[in-house]
Amino acid sequence: MTYELCIDIGGTFTDCLVEAPDGGRHIFKVPTTPGVFQNGFMNAIETSAEGFGMTLADFLQKVDRIVHGSTVSTNALVERKVARTGYLCNAGHLDVLTIREALPKPVFDWRLDYPDPYVARGRTFGITGRMDAAGNELEPLDEAAVEAAVAALRAGDVEAIGVAYLWSISNPAHELRTRQIIADMWPEVPVTLSHELNPIGREYRRTIATVIDASLQPIVSSYVRALTGALEAAGYGNDLLLANCMGGMMPPEELIRRPIYSVMSGPTLAPMAAQQLLPGRNLIVADMGGTTFDVSALREGAPVVSPEAWIGPDMLGMAKIDVRSVGAGGGSIAWVDAGGMLRVGPHSAAAVPGPACYGRGGTQPTITDANLVLGYLDPDHFLGGSMPLDRDAAEGVLTPLAETLGLTIEALSHAIFTTSNNTMVGLITDMTVKEGIDPRDSSIVVGGGATALHIAEIAREMGIEEILIPRFAAGLSAFGGLISDMRREEVASQLHASDAFDVSRVNGVLDDLYAAGKAFLDRAGVPLERQRFDYVFLARYRYQSWEIEVPFTPTDGHITEADVEALVAAFHDMHERVYSVRMDGDVVEFTTWKVRATGVRPGRITPAGTPAATSRPATPKLARRVYLHERSGMVECPVYFGAELRPGDYLDGPAIIEEPTTTIQVPQGARVTLDSEDNYQMLLGDVGAPS
Amino acid sequence: MANATGVAGEAAAGSQLEPHLLPVLSARLSAIVREMNATLMKASRSSVIKNSKDFSCGLLTFDHRLLSVEDCIPIHIAALEQATKPLTEFFDDIRPGDAFMNNCPYTGNSHHADMTLCVPVFVDDEPMFWTLSRAHHADIGAPIPTTYLTEAATIYEEGVHLPCVRIQEGFKDRADIIRMCRTKIRVADLWYGDYLAQVGACRIGERRLKELTERYGRDVIKTFIREWMDYGDRMMAAEIAKLPKGRWRFENRHDPVPGVAEDGIPVNVEVEIDPDAGTITVDTTDNVDCVPGGLNLTEATATASCRIGVFYNLNPDLPHNQGSADRIRIRLRENCALGIPRYPVGTSVATTNLTSRLIAAVASCFAQIGTNNGMGEFAYSQALGEAVISGNDQTRGGLPFVNQVFIGYGGGGASHGYDGWLSSGAACDGGQMQVDSVEVVEGMYPIVIEERGCARDSGGPGTWDGAPGIEGTFRPLGGAMTVYWGSDGDVTPAKGVAGGGAAATSGNWRREADGTVTTLPAFGDATIAADEAVRFRACGGGGYGDPAARDPERVLRSVRRGWVSPERARDVHRVAVSWNGATLDWDLDENTTADLRAAL
Repeated sequence: MTYELCIDIGGTFTDCLVEAPDGGRHIFKVPTTPGVFQNGFMNAIETSAEGFGMTLADFLQKVDRIVHGSTVSTNALVERKVARTGYLCNAGHLDVLTIREALPKPVFDWRLDYPDPYVARGRTFGITGRMDAAGNELEPLDEAAVEAAVAALRAGDVEAIGVAYLWSISNPAHELRTRQIIADMWPEVPVTLSHELNPIGREYRRTIATVIDASLQPIVSSYVRALTGALEAAGYGNDLLLANCMGGMMPPEELIRRPIYSVMSGPTLAPMAAQQLLPGRNLIVADMGGTTFDVSALREGAPVVSPEAWIGPDMLGMAKIDVRSVGAGGGSIAWVDAGGMLRVGPHSAAAVPGPACYGRGGTQPTITDANLVLGYLDPDHFLGGSMPLDRDAAEGVLTPLAETLGLTIEALSHAIFTTSNNTMVGLITDMTVKEGIDPRDSSIVVGGGATALHIAEIAREMGIEEILIPRFAAGLSAFGGLISDMRREEVASQLHASDAFDVSRVNGVLDDLYAAGKAFLDRAGVPLERQRFDYVFLARYRYQSWEIEVPFTPTDGHITEADVEALVAAFHDMHERVYSVRMDGDVVEFTTWKVRATGVRPGRITPAGTPAATSRPATPKLARRVYLHERSGMVECPVYFGAELRPGDYLDGPAIIEEPTTTIQVPQGARVTLDSEDNYQMLLGDVGAPS
Repeated sequence: MANATGVAGEAAAGSQLEPHLLPVLSARLSAIVREMNATLMKASRSSVIKNSKDFSCGLLTFDHRLLSVEDCIPIHIAALEQATKPLTEFFDDIRPGDAFMNNCPYTGNSHHADMTLCVPVFVDDEPMFWTLSRAHHADIGAPIPTTYLTEAATIYEEGVHLPCVRIQEGFKDRADIIRMCRTKIRVADLWYGDYLAQVGACRIGERRLKELTERYGRDVIKTFIREWMDYGDRMMAAEIAKLPKGRWRFENRHDPVPGVAEDGIPVNVEVEIDPDAGTITVDTTDNVDCVPGGLNLTEATATASCRIGVFYNLNPDLPHNQGSADRIRIRLRENCALGIPRYPVGTSVATTNLTSRLIAAVASCFAQIGTNNGMGEFAYSQALGEAVISGNDQTRGGLPFVNQVFIGYGGGGASHGYDGWLSSGAACDGGQMQVDSVEVVEGMYPIVIEERGCARDSGGPGTWDGAPGIEGTFRPLGGAMTVYWGSDGDVTPAKGVAGGGAAATSGNWRREADGTVTTLPAFGDATIAADEAVRFRACGGGGYGDPAARDPERVLRSVRRGWVSPERARDVHRVAVSWNGATLDWDLDENTTADLRAAL
């Protein structure tokens, strides 16, 4: 008789998703408390306790696992409110963080100011000492220079130090010796070494990750201590797990050691939810909120990982589950440019003042206003009726635009709807096709409150047949946290060309990685039968410099001479898949080895997709006028209330389904069925002509 | 938001197209180009393409109108339509499955090392589009192992030329053409891998365009194309209407090149703006005849340079299609170094040196029209930080190598309200090239980059500063290496405008075994022994406005970054700063600054 909780802190609301002993899931929302996030965290638990008619103390006695995704480190990075950090680099290479890899910019735009380096030059110290690519020492470490730098950093009141030397991945001696010197002089200061945190070749990426990690040390550790302290004071003694950017969980002490893993961790929970709902599939996870549209993808059940996540003007430097955003949300503003073309975004009315129809002073026409005019939103049932929408206000701000374009207000609203959908089509295309995932072989999983209105048209445009909309779509990330596994990734760089492959050295690396991953799971108390290890290598053709990730399965953690050919073949296949070309005769260079250690959560949920034993047509609750492009106007359309639908019920479009936190638009030709696990499954049927 | 609701241009009145299809389909074309770019970059082999992104893709209509390009090397994309025009003159049997290679400066290409692959796209047997990918190859089979042959007076001294040659038929390579290229081009596997990456990009673009056209129907797509071009035309007219009417001139000078142009090459442009007609005319006819070397522009790069210089000054949100481009009228002269070359004069360096001079001249010319327009000049530099290196890798059993490195670029010019952009490169690059990672280069080639950083005080000072250039030192590891470079900016650096100062010059040096440092010429090649090193400094960008009027907070920021010395802050910007060991940062000394500025 235990409960499990996932608490997801968002910009406005802190969500607490509770799985009750009967398997039922309940969501509770309280306001987020910026600055003291732990208060909102505890308020969310208290509100949940009340929801089950218990005191906080009684409730916590019955809770055996709390999972938490926070934005503390992401916010700190975005606002640059991080610890004062010192950085030791090679002499002669003081500008690694300034030059980066040259920052991307729009080609014809020079109305830009170049951003500062992540660590100011005044706190950057060049140290003589150099390794070459093969790990040979070209120049010994100048220990006196290290001592002088540490003394200056201490006098300058820094709170953490990052150390990143060239080729420390080939020979870490200088970094290790530097840490020793720091420890001797100033044992309290937290130190991050680049070869330990992020052993990849490409000094900017390794370095930026190192200094970000160092700069988050004090913030994340004090936040985590505040949380654990508050939970202990309330009498909680069971597991607290924190989300990381690899789509898994870590015990608090692990995240304190590697705080960079907490950056942008919340959004990675959505693809993890999708992974469990539809295992083994090619999936696109779409999550539209008030200001952004987020996309992630899974290839045959494995989340797509990107080495190139950006946060402001810097890369994160670490591989993380790829979640991309575009500024397209309900608040995106529609306008007409000087050439007479309708544009939607990138400007947004955001949460304040919000769309005009919110009646909070918004004066610009937004996507939400258009959706209201189109009848996709019900002014009286928005957010379960808690927030009436003002249709007159929406029409008022749309009218001037309609006149400019010579359209009816409905036709304009439809154009806004379709234009915004297409922005999202572009993002999904960028995300999937570059990864070698064909959207037409994929299904969509919907998260976020605003997505289900738009997703059917997006899917049709991309030739996608099947959409899954969980009832908890609006809380998909929290759901992902609830069901997620313990996870950590161990990485090592070691170069092996296919014509000079040293099996025993690779096995040495795999042993080390396995041991590190296993130690993590052991520390986290994961029993042996729930420990899982997945192996991945990164490789490229000789003279390529962008590697691709290829999974492989060594027998008992080792490869043999006989396996090398299969590894090479697997690389050729993946290269062809991702880039459409293969070069069978060419030398393959294996650069990086990874082990993903997973502690599988007990009691897995039933995946979606179980068909109901019987099916029957659902009965609409009422009807309202909705714009249908096929008929160029408003037509009477059936509206269903989700609360009244049971597993096995189905309905055909055109139709609207109202849920308390989301609205589903079912287009003509599509059929929606509620499955046994309370998910809406939409099949789009014959793809009609574009609307 | 200035042009958001309420301020609408001439709406697409009488449009045959549903209103959402213009934004929807244009965005779809952009996505296709992005997909092509991604395919090319990730699958390519040479560092020129994969690391520094020296490639571009684009879409044209079958009748050679620029349809869509994305953020890419501007000198590649701004006149892409010239690369396909000769194809329909040469061939009357263009079929699905064909692919044509054009790298010839006399058939609309940029220069010999940019191989432009052109794939015709048929929908239901009707030819509708071209997909293009243009990539700068690491080698092109010239007599010496570089793609920039400053002294090559004619095409006979250049690499292999494919003047619109059918290289694929029925979606398969023509083995004879491939064999010809592989015979002539060094490190042929590298070339072929890059070529395949180009094929992949064009074929993906082809597939996507067919899908799009089949989904929406040919008629809708044709209507869209017409309206999309009209839209570009209207946007451009509205933008030009904001500018004053008049005619202005600007001049700069390319550095002397021994044996080619002993006194350097003066570059003159005249820009005429007619806001009523909505046109900008760029005239380069008042320039020297073709020079006996590789510096001459091609028609494609001369055209592109004029367009780029204009676009740098306009709203970056403009659609860059034929509709907007055609409002820039360009006057070029035959047998002119900054115009149309006369066969068989050499154009090996047509994408960089005079191109950057011409773009900067056009962009900076706008500073004279007042109203806060124009920019300081961009860095002129392809110093040793962008050398072509070659040799035998003794750490890999003598394996031969040749490739261009991209270790350090010049800085961008300042504009009103904005400092120059670091690592923008020369004006021809548009800030699109990535900088090589030290570890990637050292891991691939036997060199050690001893140092690399921003060259202090190398940006032109101004109310808004030009960006500093990058400087550095590198040496071979284990054996000798040969370097080729063609710098510019060593004599005449990037000038400032509107009272802004000039940048520091670029420079190239050799450090001999005993530590002696000698200056290398702006153009040349050298063999560097294992115990020697080369040192470079790329030129900075020109400043904008009076340096003594620079916001002290901006001065402080530049000092904190290490871009400006405290001495220059005091002497040139009249701002005093002091070091604070307790915060490890520079502070503004407001009282002294007030005194310094009052003393002016």
